Amino acid sequence: MNKRVLVALLAGLMMNFAIASTDTWEFESPQQQALFQTLVHELRCPKCQNQNIADSEAMIAQDLKRKVYELVKQGQTEAQVIDYMKVRYGDFVYYQPPVNTTTVWLWLLPIGFVLLGFILIWRRPHQMTDVMDEDLLKQADSMLEKDQ
Amino acid sequence: MKRLGLFLIPLLAFGLIWVFLLQGLFSDPRTLESTRIEKPLPPFTLPDLMQDDIRYTEKDLTGQVTLLNVWGTWCITCAIELPYLAELQQQGIHIVGLYYEQDTDPDFGGKTLPQIRQEVLAKLGQLGNPYAYNIYDVNRNYSLDLGVTGAPETFLIDSKGVVRLHHIGDVNPQVWQSKFVPVYQALGEQVAP
Repeated sequence: MNKRVLVALLAGLMMNFAIASTDTWEFESPQQQALFQTLVHELRCPKCQNQNIADSEAMIAQDLKRKVYELVKQGQTEAQVIDYMKVRYGDFVYYQPPVNTTTVWLWLLPIGFVLLGFILIWRRPHQMTDVMDEDLLKQADSMLEKDQ
Repeated sequence: MKRLGLFLIPLLAFGLIWVFLLQGLFSDPRTLESTRIEKPLPPFTLPDLMQDDIRYTEKDLTGQVTLLNVWGTWCITCAIELPYLAELQQQGIHIVGLYYEQDTDPDFGGKTLPQIRQEVLAKLGQLGNPYAYNIYDVNRNYSLDLGVTGAPETFLIDSKGVVRLHHIGDVNPQVWQSKFVPVYQALGEQVAP
């Protein structure tokens, strides 16, 4: 009995999500619908720090969604809509940053770290025991003996 | 030598990370580079907020240095800056309002234009009216063209209609001194400090 209640509750929860995600946007073709969905998930809300406009309830996100809808209905391509937004809100508005002199480090640094790691492993001395100090070992041994 | 290296490398790494994180403390992630700076205003044709038959275009914002202030009666910070803007207007600063309303959306309750006008008049009567006139951004399309993310935001537009400054947030004496006055002076305008 308890399980049934739980299942019913969970089903109810899921239904809510389903309703929330369809919204009220209507399109002529499934392609346009798909493009709209892609775009609202790729575009970033300029007012919120880390939310796409599909996720955000901020007024600006609603406005941008409406604009994306208009542009998609006019038959604009994904690149055209992204450009339209970038002209107004800068690179911030799109989650994929462009490669330029400031952002190129995002790609170069991780590669650099991996290379550095390889170099360090390759150049590592092979016989670690050489590092050990004979005197120190003797000292340690005598300490242990004292303890006993 | 090797020991020195073992000591220095983590110290150096620590120092670099420290500098990187420290500057993060003083950077505000909300400040976005405006895309409109040093560019002419995008074209528009919009009605006056109070009178439907008056239409404005971007040409109306040329001829003198203008502050274009984006606001709404629903916006709390706007109400805080209104008295100060009114003071600036008294000192001879030309201020034009770009008004936008969220409540006209059916989603938000569908407020009518007469209702909006009444609220605007009440608000300006109460806090002071800095505006030469208010442009009504009917569908918020022009705000979008300007890259407005919310309200209040203020644009400083030179006499040729080129955007010189885009300030997000309220205009207060500190912001006025540090951000606006230098631009006015660079444009050869007389402004009281």
